[in-house]
Amino acid sequence: MARPLRRLNALTGAAPLILLWAVPLLLSLAALLPSLGDGKALARLLAHPQLGSALALSLFTGLAATALALAATLLILAGTGATRVMRIMAAAGVALPHLAFAIGFGFLIMPSGLLARVFVGGETPPGWITVQDPWGLALIVALAIKEVPFLLTAAFGILSRKEAAGLLAQQARAARSLGHGEGSAFLRVLMPQLLAELRWPLLIVFVYGATVVDMALVLGPTQPPTVAVVIWHALNDADPQENQMGLQATLLLTLLLGLAIALLSAGLGALRKPYRTFLTAGPSALAAPRRSARLMSILIGTITLAALLLLLVLSLSQRWPYPALSPVFGAAAWETLAAAPAPLVLSLVLALTTAATATALGLLWFETQNPAHDRWVTGLALLSLALPQLAIAGGQYRVFLGLGLTGSLAGLFLAHLAPVAAYVLIVLQGPYRAFDARYAMVARGLSASPARTFLRVKLPLLKAPVLTAFAIGFAVSIVQFVPAQLIAGGRYSTLPIEAVTLSSGGSRALTAAYALALAVPPLLVFMGTSLLGRPRWR
Amino acid sequence: MALSLAQVSIMLAGRRLIAPFSLEIGPGETVTLMGPSGAGKSTLLAFIAGDLEAPFTASGHVVLDGTPLDGVAPERRHIGRLFQDDLLFPHLTVAENLAFGMPREPRAERHSKIGAALSEAGLEGFGDRPPHTLSGGQRARVALMRALLAGPQAMLLDEPFNKLDAERRAAMRDFVFRHIAASGIPCLMVTHDRADAPLNGRVLMLKESQVTDA
Repeated sequence: MARPLRRLNALTGAAPLILLWAVPLLLSLAALLPSLGDGKALARLLAHPQLGSALALSLFTGLAATALALAATLLILAGTGATRVMRIMAAAGVALPHLAFAIGFGFLIMPSGLLARVFVGGETPPGWITVQDPWGLALIVALAIKEVPFLLTAAFGILSRKEAAGLLAQQARAARSLGHGEGSAFLRVLMPQLLAELRWPLLIVFVYGATVVDMALVLGPTQPPTVAVVIWHALNDADPQENQMGLQATLLLTLLLGLAIALLSAGLGALRKPYRTFLTAGPSALAAPRRSARLMSILIGTITLAALLLLLVLSLSQRWPYPALSPVFGAAAWETLAAAPAPLVLSLVLALTTAATATALGLLWFETQNPAHDRWVTGLALLSLALPQLAIAGGQYRVFLGLGLTGSLAGLFLAHLAPVAAYVLIVLQGPYRAFDARYAMVARGLSASPARTFLRVKLPLLKAPVLTAFAIGFAVSIVQFVPAQLIAGGRYSTLPIEAVTLSSGGSRALTAAYALALAVPPLLVFMGTSLLGRPRWR
Repeated sequence: MALSLAQVSIMLAGRRLIAPFSLEIGPGETVTLMGPSGAGKSTLLAFIAGDLEAPFTASGHVVLDGTPLDGVAPERRHIGRLFQDDLLFPHLTVAENLAFGMPREPRAERHSKIGAALSEAGLEGFGDRPPHTLSGGQRARVALMRALLAGPQAMLLDEPFNKLDAERRAAMRDFVFRHIAASGIPCLMVTHDRADAPLNGRVLMLKESQVTDA
């Protein structure tokens, strides 16, 4: 394979990514190891009165949200497939930050929320326990709705890759010629192949659901909370012993998640035989669930849009007493936000710089390395996303504290770069390695220098995936709450920090304004990059 | 059992791809339709199978064993197909692929039919293998047996020998035509290579949207 930037040798090409991303990440993971032998912290943790129920709640929310999101995703795929509208809706859904959606969703379903105003009315809000309910149902539903676009986007990526060879579509045709209805062909031919490739996205969704902090603080139960929230409070406590217990709890949580995944795999293994019997049970006329799929897409789209619109209206409200259907409008929240723009500016700067850096590091790596080495970085990237963010952030906090990087902009940059680079590397690898190297060979044959070949041929041809990777990096960066709060050390504030703080009792209008400020930039960046990424030659 | 096409025509974005024509294929007979690439041969097969997609449109009728198939879903037509690619399902073993389209019946019966099909295809002992471990010729034979085990009332072959080398091609041709003739079902094959047509079989030509005797 021709590598036009060969003058940058493998070492200099890999060094920036290794130094800025891989080493800090590995050090953060290594920093957790001493906690393994901390008997005192372990005893303190085991004596925690909420530990058992909090752990059970976390596993339940993670599993239930993943199962619901997967079921909805499969239903939509079976009924509507990868239409253009679905692709656009899914991409927009991915760009919407979890935290912003959670805040909007909370305002929608809370006892004094929009749903109660429209469907219940009365002088006082109903006695619903729809937010922070003890079973974590609000959190589960919000997580499931938010993860469907992610799983759909991952499935669309798989489908479009395979459809390039026309394989899956032809296999479905072959199944129908063998007497299987569209629904049966999906269940027995497409779904098994899709699920095999969706295992990493599913794992990420499960771990995220079981360990999420910001959404749990907004929507999750409180007595007891999920274990992620218990850890969060412990890590933020002024008492170092509590901090140690928090780190110990992240290890326990990681261990338990690993165990849950292993048990789940073993359970699925036991179902292997009946599943294969089902696959070859013979033709079934099962039709595609078009109507249910359409209903599901409309339901998810409507809830998401309603949450966003509600944020907009709330952010423009001065007062909105129950049971009024519309508020008294006023721009005070936006004026407050504009008067203290530091968190917004810092979040935007961090998002732009980390996304640009991660994209550049990724390009440099892929351009100078043997593709066989990719598995090291993509493996590390997947590992970092499949581990609870609290574990990485906890280790990161220890390392950065030792290096004097907490409370510094450099520390914040590196803390944001860790998840951003992981996503960018995963998104960029496939399209970059699938690039037809003959284009570069032709350019070199036409006397183009390596740099010219890269800049004038390769980059323009790869601009769509490169811009998509940048947009995903931007969206990932701007929503970082756990590492931002831990590393900022109180000296800096970002949008998610403000939004979470406000959501626990601050002004609703201001909370909504911050949530919107969090939601709009990634959506704009996604729109902008998809416009810029459109090929001019088609 | 016969397959009839009555006044079938295919349009592509307002342009006539295939002018109206009629055709009757008798039991056990294989008719070959030849024509250059892009003439609409595979599109015609998609229409007969019931999965013609936009931007193509078609008119006319397909009748199988006296039953019109207008509006019948592909899976209810009982028309088997072989494509250029074998399209064995990669997540299933060879035996599971063979079982995929078989009518629901007692397990012992299914096993014995699958065993017989494997033996017929010269693949005894290959049932538990994943498809990718088979050679191109072996996979092609499994694809045919899979289609026949589903009990089709007609077969459509879409250049099924195209991706085989010359030696395997001749053997596969004999294998396919022998089995189709033995099942007594009508078969329409499209190809651009006259050598693929069975000896003594009818050969039609699709050229400039007209279907004529070659």
